[in-house]
Amino acid sequence: MTAPAGPAPGSAAEERPGAAEPPAPVIELQGVGVGYDGRTVLSGLDLRLAERRIGVIGQNGSGKSTLARLLNGLVVPDEGRVLVDGRDTRTEGRRVRSEVGFVFQNPDNQIVFPIVAEDMAFGLKNLGLPKKEIPGRVAGALESFGIGHLAERHSHLLSGGEKQLVALASVMVMRPRTVVFDEPTTLLDLRNRNRIRDAVDAMAPAAVVVTHDLELVSGYDRVLVVHDGGIAFDGAPGEAVAWYREHCS
Amino acid sequence: MNTSLYVPGNTPLHRLPAGAKFGVLFAAGIGLFLLAHPGVLGAAAAVAAVLVLSARAPLAALRARLLPVGVMLAVLFAATALLQDVPAAVVMLLRLAALILLALAVTLTTRPADLLEFFERLTAPLARVGVADPERISLGVSLVLRFVPEVFRRFQEIREAQAARGLKANPVALLVPLIVRTLKAADDVADAIDARCYPPPRRPSGGARTEENPT
Repeated sequence: MTAPAGPAPGSAAEERPGAAEPPAPVIELQGVGVGYDGRTVLSGLDLRLAERRIGVIGQNGSGKSTLARLLNGLVVPDEGRVLVDGRDTRTEGRRVRSEVGFVFQNPDNQIVFPIVAEDMAFGLKNLGLPKKEIPGRVAGALESFGIGHLAERHSHLLSGGEKQLVALASVMVMRPRTVVFDEPTTLLDLRNRNRIRDAVDAMAPAAVVVTHDLELVSGYDRVLVVHDGGIAFDGAPGEAVAWYREHCS
Repeated sequence: MNTSLYVPGNTPLHRLPAGAKFGVLFAAGIGLFLLAHPGVLGAAAAVAAVLVLSARAPLAALRARLLPVGVMLAVLFAATALLQDVPAAVVMLLRLAALILLALAVTLTTRPADLLEFFERLTAPLARVGVADPERISLGVSLVLRFVPEVFRRFQEIREAQAARGLKANPVALLVPLIVRTLKAADDVADAIDARCYPPPRRPSGGARTEENPT
């Protein structure tokens, strides 16, 4: 069941000044199927994602996280292909990942260096940025999230909200054009959940947010409901959430 | 729990390049084992202690790092005094204390990234002869530094969960879930590293690394 996709009234697309933002890359899934251990997780997916804020909701085990990982090549499909601005994630995964960042559910597994500033620098080194430019980029990214004071802190001693902000900043410092979030607020309290929500709303790159937090996607341009290995509903947030409540609760 | 050795700061020792600090530590290590005069070794230990204090680390952090070392030195002192004599034990104690304090002064004031970069430079010749990839070694060391506290935290969580259900401490019951959880986390960490475009682009002098086949 599919509703026309496009900017919904009062959606993020209407409120943000689109002219100031870089165009989101077009992500296309063509006949995509994925399975693990003989079990089909997703099958026959055909999608074109070009909106600036896209929510993905669905039950546990429905394939949401697998869908998210397909978008930047962390998972490559068993069938079909995923293209990001025409680049196949199977053959150009590294290039795709430089354009499509990924924020994981658990920042403890995403932050790989002991000191915050070092972790931020990791992605920039991988992009081949000149060493002298890295400290400035890192400081700027931390300041933009209001966490400049954490630069020299031990990453494992931060609070849950601080860790998730550091994880987000460590992706944003690489200046991706789209960021995929896999349940970014699941482990957070209300205050930190709101900090992440505000950070996602304010950031310039496009975002695809996988979440169980139905309120989080209420202002988005488009929401997909993943169910039984496919997209059961695709449309405006209000209708998608209503469909989800009716069929999956 | 803070198991990291580095303590952020801006002291003269913090500002010294990692290579210089490790060079001095290396030379001091050789010198200390060539010297046997208790007075000289005592002075060396005193200088090392001053260097540690100059790092301006919180006293609690110093205590946590020095207490196990102190216990170990006390055991070694007693054993040497019993098996040899007290003067030999004093020399051994002062020598090891000086060396350990110097090493602590270096690790307290050297950021892990600088440490890793230094080791990368040190092991770069190995890459040129195709023996090892310094960046991979460096990332591996970094992951160990980063995730030792995480593994300890998971251990505590599992122990608490089991204690809450009345289970007494049992090594097998603790280790099996700890290993499973750590392996699952390792998968996630590998994904996170991939997601951030590791490895870096090939250097002009590096080996044959392609974009999609980093090995």
